[in-house]
Amino acid sequence: MSLVQDLRAVLGDDRVLEEPVELYLYSRDASLMQGQATCVAFPHTTAEVAAVVRVAEAHGVPIIPRGAGTGLAAGAIPIDGGIVLSTTSMNQIELDVENRTAWVGAGVINLDLTKEAEPYGLSFAPDPSSQSACTIGGNVANNSGGAHCLAEGATTSHVLGLEVVLAGGEVLVLGGQAPDMPGLDLKGLIVGSEGTLGVVTRALVRLLPIEADVRTLLLDFEELSAATRTVSDVIAAGLVPAALEIMDQKMTTAVENWLRAGLPCDCAAILLAEVVGEPEAVEAEAALVSRIGMQNGARNVQVARDEEERAMLWKGRKSAFGAVAQVSPNYYLHDTVVPRSRLVETMEEVQAIADRHGLDVYNVFHAGDGNLHPLMAFDASDPVMLEKVHRAGEEMVAACLARGGALSGEHGIGLEKRDMMRDDFTDIDLDAQARLKEAFDPSGLFNPAKVLPEGSRCFDFGGVRREIPDGAWV
Amino acid sequence: MGWVTEYHPTTDELNACVQCGLCLPACPTFRLTGRETASPRGRIQAMKAVHNGILQVDQPFQGVIDFCLGCRACEPVCPGMVPYGRALEGARAEIAAQRPGFSHRARSVLLGRVIGSRGSLRAGSAALRAAQSTGATSLAPTRLRRLAAGLRPLQGRPRATVGHSGGSGESGKVALLAGCIQDEWFRPVNHAAIALLEMAGYRVEVPAGQTCCGALAAHDGKADAARALARRNMPVFTGYDQVVVTSAGCSAHVREYGHWAPAGEQVGERAVDVTVVVARAIEIGLLPRLRVGSGPIAVQDPCHLRHAQRVTAEPRSILQAGGFDVVEIDPAGMCCGAAGLYSVLQPEASTELGNRKATQIRSTGVTRVASANPGCEMQLRSALGARYEIAHPIEWYLRGVMAADESGRVAGVRTAR
Amino acid sequence: MTEAAGGGPRLQQKVAPPDVNALVSVLREASASRSVVQVVGGGTRQGYGSPPPFDIALHMTGFSGIEEWDPDDLTVTVGAGTPVADLEAELSGRSQTAVLPEVPGASTVGGVISAGVSSLRRARLLGTRERMLEVRLVTGDGRVVRGGGRVVKNVSGYDLPRLVVGAFGSLGVITSMCLKLWPKPAAAATVAIGDAETAARVRRPLAVLEHDGATDVFLWGTPEEVFSSAARLGGEMREGLHWPADPDGRYRWSLRLPPASTSEGVSRLPATWSHLAIHGAGEIRAASDAPDGAEDLRGWAEGMGGSLVVVEAPRGGINGMDPWGRPPPGLEIQGRLIAHFDPARVINPGRLPGGL
Repeated sequence: MSLVQDLRAVLGDDRVLEEPVELYLYSRDASLMQGQATCVAFPHTTAEVAAVVRVAEAHGVPIIPRGAGTGLAAGAIPIDGGIVLSTTSMNQIELDVENRTAWVGAGVINLDLTKEAEPYGLSFAPDPSSQSACTIGGNVANNSGGAHCLAEGATTSHVLGLEVVLAGGEVLVLGGQAPDMPGLDLKGLIVGSEGTLGVVTRALVRLLPIEADVRTLLLDFEELSAATRTVSDVIAAGLVPAALEIMDQKMTTAVENWLRAGLPCDCAAILLAEVVGEPEAVEAEAALVSRIGMQNGARNVQVARDEEERAMLWKGRKSAFGAVAQVSPNYYLHDTVVPRSRLVETMEEVQAIADRHGLDVYNVFHAGDGNLHPLMAFDASDPVMLEKVHRAGEEMVAACLARGGALSGEHGIGLEKRDMMRDDFTDIDLDAQARLKEAFDPSGLFNPAKVLPEGSRCFDFGGVRREIPDGAWV
Repeated sequence: MGWVTEYHPTTDELNACVQCGLCLPACPTFRLTGRETASPRGRIQAMKAVHNGILQVDQPFQGVIDFCLGCRACEPVCPGMVPYGRALEGARAEIAAQRPGFSHRARSVLLGRVIGSRGSLRAGSAALRAAQSTGATSLAPTRLRRLAAGLRPLQGRPRATVGHSGGSGESGKVALLAGCIQDEWFRPVNHAAIALLEMAGYRVEVPAGQTCCGALAAHDGKADAARALARRNMPVFTGYDQVVVTSAGCSAHVREYGHWAPAGEQVGERAVDVTVVVARAIEIGLLPRLRVGSGPIAVQDPCHLRHAQRVTAEPRSILQAGGFDVVEIDPAGMCCGAAGLYSVLQPEASTELGNRKATQIRSTGVTRVASANPGCEMQLRSALGARYEIAHPIEWYLRGVMAADESGRVAGVRTAR
Repeated sequence: MTEAAGGGPRLQQKVAPPDVNALVSVLREASASRSVVQVVGGGTRQGYGSPPPFDIALHMTGFSGIEEWDPDDLTVTVGAGTPVADLEAELSGRSQTAVLPEVPGASTVGGVISAGVSSLRRARLLGTRERMLEVRLVTGDGRVVRGGGRVVKNVSGYDLPRLVVGAFGSLGVITSMCLKLWPKPAAAATVAIGDAETAARVRRPLAVLEHDGATDVFLWGTPEEVFSSAARLGGEMREGLHWPADPDGRYRWSLRLPPASTSEGVSRLPATWSHLAIHGAGEIRAASDAPDGAEDLRGWAEGMGGSLVVVEAPRGGINGMDPWGRPPPGLEIQGRLIAHFDPARVINPGRLPGGL
């Protein structure tokens, strides 16, 4: 029987898609890449995922797990065929309020989990900007961060256990509510592995008590470097606020045009700072942030008056990428990290690179983590422009690496940055990484061509070579 | 073959989408199915693929587009400000043009014959009304029976609205668009609007010669018909301070007349949903504000008010001025599944969404519901059953004012002139 | 001398390579000759797990000291042989901490990481895994491998830095690592309270520790915050953080439970056991002079999804009692992973659960 017939025998007719329009839509995510799916499958249970894995193995066709498709690093792109396995139907949440944990289906939307936990005074800390749409499965795959992982850590710090389907359709439950499960931390290795080791079907996550008090400050500056220096100084002063986010003038203007939240658009940059905790601490820490801001030349320090105003500020911050669409049909950004002590010089270098290529760069970033997102808005239908943007992007990454930084802070490597892995790691490092993959997935079934560049395994074990085809960049 | 009509989605409309996916959770059909093919981003990308010659306007494409409710809940959450409703109407016009043989029968019956002319609507309505009074609705096809179950119970034949004119005019001169279904089946809403606007000092005219606003036709891809209807309405509604529309679906459409008729923005810019005018009149003291005492009421937001026009405060302030305690049912403002002809064309998804909304309402324990759109009202009534009383916010308000007149609960009013 | 598997005497060699190149040679030779290597940091946990008879005692003194400290970025890169106490003392000079065990004795940074031992502040600041940003190690067959990076947020490649925590060197001998630091706030206090329930009056305390009948809440933050929290708790307050030492005895145990079961875990400990329970984290450290009652406790803990691990036992172990208890899932994959990093299986073979 054909692949689709076999899948339909397991899932039923309506849960396997193969029409061209359906395949087209499932061959894309939020990145600039376009792949080609063979079919799309919608399992509802872990057992069905295992069955899909076995069918895929029997046909020698890879599996590309997919949540909401909000990834920016082309981590969910089927590069030359494969079953796109959509997790969106696996969306159960089981709260354990006493232990402050929840078993969460891979397809649960991040924000839905927090809403579910809220009545119990709990919340899920990782809050990527796409949190209203992205799934927990996607968060686990990419070890997603977000504005509030500055103080609380990224997704991996909040995943206590995983249910995962591995090669051969084997189902493992790793980790649990008790700490320090004896043996190697396979769960921790799967978090951030971008679906290349297996399919995560459920995650046991840690929930945190909602803080007693919160204060959100909006500082505006006449120089981007002044905002950046404020962030460096806050960290150097020994304060780790809940969030420290910067948007430059161009970004703020695009957001404000849509949101009408009264964001100041006449300044070079705004800094969004949030402090949380006991009321006394919040008071003192907010004052410290304001003082450091003023010392660095902040024009104004505004404090969100109520929850509505606070929500508005965060909505603005978290919608920034999408707002660029008002300006250009495409955008390309890099998600690099530098030591926070080197933020100011890195931002200056990023601007210089953009200027050199005659490109418009927008900045919106998790400044508190040193996590930059320099974003170039452009029209991809102009091939010259696309080439320019790529070149500038590579230079920006190189500038960050030269300052002791990393390739990606939270978006993942995916297809997009896999070839840049060589700029950060030696052949031996990459070979070791490839061995980790091989221990889980010797036949290369799961999300091929992601994370590691082609030929990472020094002693290649004879998998199909998957070059990124010319037409992949759209 | 790409696009064939002048109505197709434009490059600018489609390029406004950067595929960020923030629209997904706002979309009721994505929430129902978890499928990209049932999401605003997916539909826009599918249109883009046709636009770029990668895909055709074929049956699967039609399936993707047909499944959309047209609720436009994706628009307010889109930071790229994609004009989704606009693009959707364009895609539907293309489907109507390229796949005429594949249109649903129910659709062509309802649209082509009935709504296109007020005369045949009246005939159809008379038949349905007769059926309702004799209990013979079971003879109608199942899908239509569901629709009929949502209609208001017969209360005799209220006097005609079209041709009416009255009121002092101290506050201005307005025209009322009576609507087709609205005026046939929900005429008390129009009467309430006339009464309140006149109470507020407006000169109200319901000009003869008006026809269906064209919203249903436009939502369904009958772009030529929508254009013809808008053109017929243009001269009728020119020359007023405001054009007041009592159904949210219609007010959203008339406000976009600039797209449908030459110089259409002349009327479009003056068009206003009745909730906006009445709320404003209350705010500036032209209409009374009651002390509390009318009891709790659940408020449902029609998509074409909440998402397409971003009007949410007004129905609430009207109800509060009517002395009601407003009970929220759905912070996300998810579509009830009525969506014009959707309940007929996609009965499964429509029923599921209707049931979800009904569950939300039932969980509040409130049995009175305010909804500013006839389609939503019908959907809610058929999902909730007869025990629930559903009416337009201005009807509830008028009712409150009438009752208060007797009990003296009117407070702080500059009595209507 | 120890007894070799075959029963005959085994000649043990002590080496302390001064640098990475020397370490590479040691491991290559060990792999070639199939000599078993035991890695020694501060020598405080040599009995943890199932330590095998060994041929080479590899001392990490040559990898001691801070390589790079960026106080303004709150990161430090440190040699594996650096004593935890030395590192924390140095960091304290700038009011920073690596959030490693508070009463470390002679433990080294590499040692607590390899053994997966966490801070008493783990309920608030999470365990040792969360400190790891970058790791450099030498594999059993002598490859020098780096994973992660010296930044606080990084998703470039698989999370090797996290995987080495608690791996007992099975993936290679760690030479250095970059750790995420935490600032020490201006004020701190230790408040004695009646029972662990009272601690709920403070939303997110630094630690709630129960030991030998006493329960202390540890607070830090701004002076106002610390004093008002202490007042809410109502107990006797001492300024500063007065950390208890781990309980000591012939047998040392680690009981791991779902956090909400910590109190029940304490109540189920045999009466003669001393303990230190970390509330909110589900970890109870215990010690006893005899192993009696351990099997029952383990049975209960495993039924709760937890474990009872033997951290230290007199030579020869406990009759028929596996130090780890029920083997964890995924042993096959763990075995394959280890085989990729230490193909001759020379570093601490058999020390992990399942005989890996």
